[in-house]
Amino acid sequence: MIAALRARMAAELAEANLHFAWRVAKRELRGGLAGFRIFLACLALGVAGIAAVGSITAAIQAGLAAEGRTILGGDASITLTYRRASAEERDWMAAQGVVSEVADLRSMIGTVVEGGPPDRALAQVKGVDGAYPLYGAAELESGRALQDAIAENAANDGRWGLVAERALVERLGAQVGDPVSLGTGTFTLTGVIAVEPDAAAGGMALGPRAIVASNGLAAAGLLGEGTLYETLYRIRLDPSASLDAIERDYAERFPEAGGRWRDRDNAAPGIARFVQRIGAFLVLVGLAALVIGGVGVGAAVRGYLTRKVPVIASLRTLGAPAGTVFAAYLMQVGVIALFGIVIGLALGGGGIALLGPWIAEQLPVPARFALYPAPLVIAGLYGLLTAALFALWPLSWLREVRPAELFRLSAGGQGGGFRLPRLRMTLFLIGLSVAFGLIVAALSGAAKLALSVMAGIGAALVLLRAVGWLAARGAARLARGPLGRKRPVLRLALGAIGAPGGGAVDITMALGLGLGVLAAIGQVDNTMQRLITNQLPAGAPAFFLVDIQPDQLDPVQARLAEIGGVESIETAPMLRGVITELEGIPAREAEIDPGAAWVLRGDRGVTYSTEPPEGAVLTAGEWWPEDYDGPPLVSFIDEEGRQLGLEPGDAITVSILGRPITATIANLREVEWQGLGINFIMVMSPNALQGAPHTHIATVYADTAAEGPILRALGTEFLNVTAVGIREQIERVSGALGDLGAATRWGALAVLLTGLAVLIGAAGTAAERQVSEAAVLKVLGAERKTILASLALRAALLGAGAGVVALLWGTVAAWGVAEFVLDAEFAPAPGQALAIILGGAVLNLGAGLAFAARPLRLRPAGVLRVQAG
Amino acid sequence: MPSQAGDVEILRGIDLAIDAGESVGIIGPSGSGKSSLLMVLGGLERATAGRVEVLGQDLSAMDEDALARLRREGMGVVFQSFHLIPTMTAIENVATPLELAGRDDAFEQAAKLLGEVGLGHREGHYPAQMSGGEQQRVALARALAPGPRLLLADEPTGNLDGKTGQAVIELLFGLSGDKDATLVMVTHEQPLAERCSRVISMESGKIVGDTGTAAPAEITPNAGEAA
Repeated sequence: MIAALRARMAAELAEANLHFAWRVAKRELRGGLAGFRIFLACLALGVAGIAAVGSITAAIQAGLAAEGRTILGGDASITLTYRRASAEERDWMAAQGVVSEVADLRSMIGTVVEGGPPDRALAQVKGVDGAYPLYGAAELESGRALQDAIAENAANDGRWGLVAERALVERLGAQVGDPVSLGTGTFTLTGVIAVEPDAAAGGMALGPRAIVASNGLAAAGLLGEGTLYETLYRIRLDPSASLDAIERDYAERFPEAGGRWRDRDNAAPGIARFVQRIGAFLVLVGLAALVIGGVGVGAAVRGYLTRKVPVIASLRTLGAPAGTVFAAYLMQVGVIALFGIVIGLALGGGGIALLGPWIAEQLPVPARFALYPAPLVIAGLYGLLTAALFALWPLSWLREVRPAELFRLSAGGQGGGFRLPRLRMTLFLIGLSVAFGLIVAALSGAAKLALSVMAGIGAALVLLRAVGWLAARGAARLARGPLGRKRPVLRLALGAIGAPGGGAVDITMALGLGLGVLAAIGQVDNTMQRLITNQLPAGAPAFFLVDIQPDQLDPVQARLAEIGGVESIETAPMLRGVITELEGIPAREAEIDPGAAWVLRGDRGVTYSTEPPEGAVLTAGEWWPEDYDGPPLVSFIDEEGRQLGLEPGDAITVSILGRPITATIANLREVEWQGLGINFIMVMSPNALQGAPHTHIATVYADTAAEGPILRALGTEFLNVTAVGIREQIERVSGALGDLGAATRWGALAVLLTGLAVLIGAAGTAAERQVSEAAVLKVLGAERKTILASLALRAALLGAGAGVVALLWGTVAAWGVAEFVLDAEFAPAPGQALAIILGGAVLNLGAGLAFAARPLRLRPAGVLRVQAG
Repeated sequence: MPSQAGDVEILRGIDLAIDAGESVGIIGPSGSGKSSLLMVLGGLERATAGRVEVLGQDLSAMDEDALARLRREGMGVVFQSFHLIPTMTAIENVATPLELAGRDDAFEQAAKLLGEVGLGHREGHYPAQMSGGEQQRVALARALAPGPRLLLADEPTGNLDGKTGQAVIELLFGLSGDKDATLVMVTHEQPLAERCSRVISMESGKIVGDTGTAAPAEITPNAGEAA
């Protein structure tokens, strides 16, 4: 009974205390947000960045989902490799709905010039039937109807028509109305593509798009046996039809056909996956910005509490329990944090929704911009967790500080100041950090990446805090040592850095984290660019030639060997196949390492050979004898083979041209992909494939001067052979990487902006101290140039120091990504290193000097009198 | 005198000359202008009218940096609120004016002076780690460090208890006397002012009482003049 009464009293007291705390909080907040501008900026910037990235990602995902059937070109799509559907397959498709057949291949398109060598360019050619497109509309710049423009008719000079992207037309230097060559045929260029509704569904394009009629493509000899093409069958289904049921039915009826199924719900899985990954990565960059903002939040709360010491002292003296005072200030910080988060969400989410139409124009994929609640909730949650993590530490001081200490502090006397929180709060904060990491991992969609980035940020924070503390100690020691003697400017600077509350820790953390993220991103970018471009001079081939017919193999080699500058030519038979079974288990049901999923995702190159490829190292099993004539054998690449759980003796089934071939793994071999030579996932024993119609692939090693003559020779004598210029492709990939780098740099900019906000906050806090310090120094006889030099030196030293630390940990992080993620040789960027250090010094110097005018301008008497009063 | 709201008439009709070696106590109620007079003498505040000459220099003709050099070479100032630089230890605070004056032995001198004020054991402590009395003793050592000819003290015991204040005053008089510095001290304590060789009383910005200069023998021929 007594216990219950006591509990009720305690509850009432607690409730009363919370009411009181709220009233105190409201009264304190009447003072406005003057001391919280940096707090708000830090939180709002970080939240805005995450909300913006999340909103763009959501808009693209919504766009992909909404436009699924248009992107796919149908409700469902079945892709076949090197063959058209059999009559049985066509009948089944026709029974499901309206079918459209599209052939997709890479080929050379050339100008037709009488008496001179033609210009030729690689194109991604699409042959379409009369039903194309089933959804959406294909548009030409001229407004002419597509089907009319690609037909064989009088309006097209009696030839089949061809329409192409502007990039291709410009590369050829052709005009609408000109004849162009494709395969063995001549077409009329009839228009420039303005809208290709199903553009985003295509795989990796090696050249700009051209569209012709399927029949025209066949007439040009490009759909013959052995030619490298894909046929896509798009089906418009009845709206009530079940996609799952139809997919199951297809898989059961044609288990060995090797057809790849896609439907409108997953129209562009590659793009969706890419967008999701990039989105997750950029959200993590945004989180780094938010964490840097957290440093500013913590500093702002410390500054606020320091200014409120007299109020806190009075409240405690009047009998307010420590918990109540803590609650009152927690409520204030909470209200302001919510305000900052709302600003961030409005800037990030609202800004993106408003800029949507403009952003959509810049994106190569469909996007539907709107206010999406999910990314905003996530950004808000991250903001709240960051604010809690960084504000609770200084706020916890309120629970521990004694009133007497508060009064000493308010009288300018000695006090304990801020210190590590008690064990319970420390454990709570550690728990909150771990929970934060797990929440980010769960929500990011890239758990492993998120966890490593969060752990990295956490480790960097602890490291930077320790370095900041050590730097302060070191500076104080240096100031007192021989270095500081007789150099008053340097000693003043070092002394200020090393003094308690000198800002060394906050600035090292904010600037160190911000510049470190920049250093890491920059060096990863450098490593990737180097990885791509460095391969070229190091013996990469000049061209891949595909679609060489068996009877052309010797003539092509002979013709190219005549051209000066051609060093060598390697050839191999080339087929493509889809792995349908692993050890008798359907590939889609097999449990495999996700790292090898790509091998099963589409069709892969297959060749045959009597001997191991040059440079290949067998890691298990043995190569077959030269005259082997037993059951089909296959050599599989080592890493992915092991990830698929394969070892010598296991069986795999590969569907080649719709025919299942079951082969036994004879050996595993290591492959050096980066050399860009001819490599195949699977090399089969010759007897397994020799009967199958196929073409050959060749790599041509030649110097740059020979590239033009090679293209001209092929364009004149071997019209069906497609040459893929490696230099051009490297430039395409490099360009794509550049775009990716640009997106990342925007993310890094958010990091730097937040870091700058923290710096400004720290400089602003330091400025109050500097005003009085400058006044005293003037009393002691210091001229303004001496004071300015000291202020500039301390800012530059601290900034450069943070830059050095940033560079160190950023380089270690970038090395880790290069070594363990990219599996590439790390390419450090020394120029950038210097820029980072200088950048740190300049940024902090700028922030410091921005606040230097007041200390220099004010008269000592006024300052000192205000302080005394 | 200038203020943010425009010029304010704080000091009126002041006509004062202080000879070298004098110790002058300025006394008066709050708002009488005694601290303002001290600030004007130190070149820390500018008079909007009239002429101020200290240590043979016309302060009204000097810019901020020239005033700083004059203080560096010839003045020491002690404040009621100590005004030590919080980011510096005791010895660093004392050594700073010596360093600014380009003295090679700044730290040795600072250590010696701290010893003289009884704080040799507190050299490495920051102001926040010291009591008020200790802070004022550091401030006194700092003011005397460059060997000033003029020592200005603005209510030096105002923030101290009686006993501590007494100890600081003993040091102030003892050390300024030892170093032959002219002492001008503002105080609102009559007994303290009377320890000086001359007492000036102020009210409403005017001098209302002056016990007069000390014996001519105590005046240095080249002494500065404050008017």
